Amino acid sequence: MSEPVVEVGNVWKRFGRQWVLRDVSLVVEPGEIVALLGPNGVGKTTLLRVIATLIRPQRGQVRLFGKPAKRIEQERGWIGLVANPPAFYRHLSGEENLEQALALAGRPIRREQALAAMADVGLPPSRPVMAYSSGMRKRLALARTLLMQPRLLLLDEPETALDEAGRERLVEVIHTAARGGAVLLATHDRSFAGAVATRRVAMEARG
Amino acid sequence: MRAWVLALRDLRLEWRGRAGLLSAFSFIAVVLFIMGIAFGPDEGNLRRAGPGVLWVALAFAGSLLASRAWAIEVENETLDELLLAPGSREWIYVGKLLFLWVLMMVMGAFLLVLVAAWFYLPLAAWPQLLVTLVLGGTGYTAVSAFYAGLTVRLRARDVLLYLLVFPLILPVVLAAVKATIGIAFGADIAEVVSWWKLLGVFDVVYLTLCVLLFPGVIEG
Repeated sequence: MSEPVVEVGNVWKRFGRQWVLRDVSLVVEPGEIVALLGPNGVGKTTLLRVIATLIRPQRGQVRLFGKPAKRIEQERGWIGLVANPPAFYRHLSGEENLEQALALAGRPIRREQALAAMADVGLPPSRPVMAYSSGMRKRLALARTLLMQPRLLLLDEPETALDEAGRERLVEVIHTAARGGAVLLATHDRSFAGAVATRRVAMEARG
Repeated sequence: MRAWVLALRDLRLEWRGRAGLLSAFSFIAVVLFIMGIAFGPDEGNLRRAGPGVLWVALAFAGSLLASRAWAIEVENETLDELLLAPGSREWIYVGKLLFLWVLMMVMGAFLLVLVAAWFYLPLAAWPQLLVTLVLGGTGYTAVSAFYAGLTVRLRARDVLLYLLVFPLILPVVLAAVKATIGIAFGADIAEVVSWWKLLGVFDVVYLTLCVLLFPGVIEG
């Protein structure tokens, strides 16, 4: 049996004096699509960022792909994070942003791949990202996910700002990503979580 | 390799926006104008002040550029994208350092010409001035790129940057000023070389420490 993709054990995280995560534990197995549900401020985004190794918890352990999160380096390239809103260089075009993502991950830049990923989500390649609507940025984030093919896909409220066609494409991308690894998504939308997730986890405010 | 990709990408963004260089050039022009007025029309005064004015202006404008190097990531909220790239994270520092170094050299060359025109710095000695600029600029960018990265997530980052960088960078600025004075007043080349050696030592020490420490401090 293969190892869990994510193991979070008794994690505590605070910002200043405010504890945001208190004794949180979670395991995500290969092939799972886990939806984190909960009200604003409960720590869903913080948990995603801890798992993405972007911030360190004060206490507790995080293991990714069977290794302690502190020790992963090359494996970090297997993590895909779609923030809310997704982050891109606004003065670069969508295509240039995708090529940058490939280059910074140390992968060969293939223009045709970037263009194909953009066409796949219905985006024009040459327009600068600053001229994109929020829905188009979400679509560009999907294009980046298609291109990077992460083994662990972390999504923060991915369904917001997307139209119906965009949501359908999002669901396809999530299922594709889960086949190659696992998906963990944070959302307020219970119906979306119900439709896409194989397991739902409710986070509650504590203290 | 990825450090070059990052540096070239930042240069492309800077070229499209020109926010960093324009503000640094404007700052330099204002500093030189005020200093020029303050030291009056006397040629001897201006000659003596020239090397100090050059490096003070470069140091302050360099801090503006160091903030700019990381502000690109803050404005676009893309720092996480860099941190998620595979491998150890030294390359992020090296990429920002390269970007900042190129801007510093462009600005330093511009500043040399202005100081030569206003403060009688002898441009005939341009090869020596260029060596001093490269050695002094490298030490300065090594420290300022590191601390600008360290403070990038803080609200008071611009104030903190000056407070953190200037005490550490003082030996570099002093050695660079001494070398420039030697060049400006025709001192023995051996004396200038001794300051260059000191600058070289600072560069190696600062670069090594910053590369080693950066991965540990950039994580939130």
